[in-house]
Amino acid sequence: MEPSMTRYISPISPSVFPHLATVLLAMGTFFTAWFFVFEVTRPTSNGKNLIVKELLISLFAASFLGFGVLFLMLTVGIYV
Amino acid sequence: MGKFHLTYLLVVCLIWSVQSAVDVEIQNKNVDRTIDLTSQLVKISYKITLEHSAKKNLNSYSFLIPKNERKSLAYISIRDSSKKELKSTEETNADGALFLVNLPANAPTQILLVETVFTKSLLPYPTEIQQSEKQLVRYFGNAYFYSQFKTLSQKTTIQLSSKNVESYTSVKPSSQSDSTITYGPYENIAALSTQPITVHFENHSPFLTVTRLERVIEVSHWGNIAVEETIDMVHSGAKLKGSFSRYDYQKDGRSGQASVKSYKTILPASATGVYYRDTNGNISTSAMRVHKDSVELDLRPRFPLFGGWKTHYTIGYNVPSFEYLFHTNENYLLKMRLVDHIYDDMVIDEIVVKIILPEGSTNIKLITPYPVTRLSDSLHYTYLDTFGRPVIQFTKNNLVENHIHEFNLKYNFPKIVMIQEPLLIVGFLYILFLCVIIWMRLDFSITKEKEAHPHKE
Repeated sequence: MEPSMTRYISPISPSVFPHLATVLLAMGTFFTAWFFVFEVTRPTSNGKNLIVKELLISLFAASFLGFGVLFLMLTVGIYV
Repeated sequence: MGKFHLTYLLVVCLIWSVQSAVDVEIQNKNVDRTIDLTSQLVKISYKITLEHSAKKNLNSYSFLIPKNERKSLAYISIRDSSKKELKSTEETNADGALFLVNLPANAPTQILLVETVFTKSLLPYPTEIQQSEKQLVRYFGNAYFYSQFKTLSQKTTIQLSSKNVESYTSVKPSSQSDSTITYGPYENIAALSTQPITVHFENHSPFLTVTRLERVIEVSHWGNIAVEETIDMVHSGAKLKGSFSRYDYQKDGRSGQASVKSYKTILPASATGVYYRDTNGNISTSAMRVHKDSVELDLRPRFPLFGGWKTHYTIGYNVPSFEYLFHTNENYLLKMRLVDHIYDDMVIDEIVVKIILPEGSTNIKLITPYPVTRLSDSLHYTYLDTFGRPVIQFTKNNLVENHIHEFNLKYNFPKIVMIQEPLLIVGFLYILFLCVIIWMRLDFSITKEKEAHPHKE
């Protein structure tokens, strides 16, 4: 072993995995709910500005849910 | 006539060259041999005092293992008087397998410490016993130290697992007291002399053999290393003759002495999430004790193992990555045990080690403590994989406890690849949301709406 080598630690400590999973999934669920409420109440006509808003909300929802699911997997022992 | 002379010269040359390979002036001044037969293994340790009869400096020595014993030799280590391991190279000739070492000190008298471990050398006799019978085994050996050189003085001590000895070959002077048999001292034994001996004695130590061990090490850069061992085990002692009576087994303490009820497996101290299961599911008859420097598992198979009975199970656990994984920037080094403890004095016929590295690892280099057979690399697909995780595989036969050593595996891994897994989920979910957005903009109504009727709000 080269002397300069140090022990490898995960970039995010495994002890915060469950908390991260909970918070991220909660935020993801919130954005998802907002997205669907927005979708069903959206007026059919003049959707020019609305599409940007829809895309933004869904992007946030997907990102939070995506990272939330990853940390959920790590929490339950599926080390990807 | 000239032709005849040439042939004669050739023969002389040949004899001379063969003779010169063995320095006849080296002598084993004194040999102390201890043969440990207390377990299922044959562990022989030698203390050899070498001497050069012409008082010249000694710089090399060859240790000889008889040909028929070479196959069962699992481990050999040759050390000098300061207990420093000497590197040996193996050669085979008509007498057996030669282990050649270069001696570090250039002195006319030197001491060598040799340790050998043989597997499958204690043969049950009778080969089949009933449930209540005792297990007797035979050891076939040599009363003399088998060497290429003349041995001036030697003594052999055989340690047995019990004092119940059926018989042993007597080679004067030899004696038995309790569970020890002593052969010798013998003086001035010529090179390559053999005097076969047989020791027939009672041995109830667990005769377990792992016929196949598959050890899978899965490295995750999220801070975890998962280890899973799939074990095929057989009781390799005297086979059970007749039927098995659970009643006798429970009631009579002397019944089933040769059987194996349970054994201990020692895991690393940082092992968590341990599981012990077989094809039926979890085997609940196990106990885990966490000690300061190890985790001890008391495993009890679903049934006691009698001679010839087999079992198959899986053991798995997680260890944190900082225990075994080291790095500088993007260069990583995995330093783990090639094989770990399964039970005391274990015998493993075949081991297959698979190391699964994270997706995107490159420049993989394996360094093993002893030669192994490398199998072809493959890919492993599991959760959130796209192009597969590289798998390093290798195998080795005939392993014992002395083979518990660490291997080194070097590889490169760009950190940015770690973000690929969450992005895969994010991308998938985003596509779902986009589908919903498009769906809401499509019109599936059969009849056209007449007029845009205003909302009631």
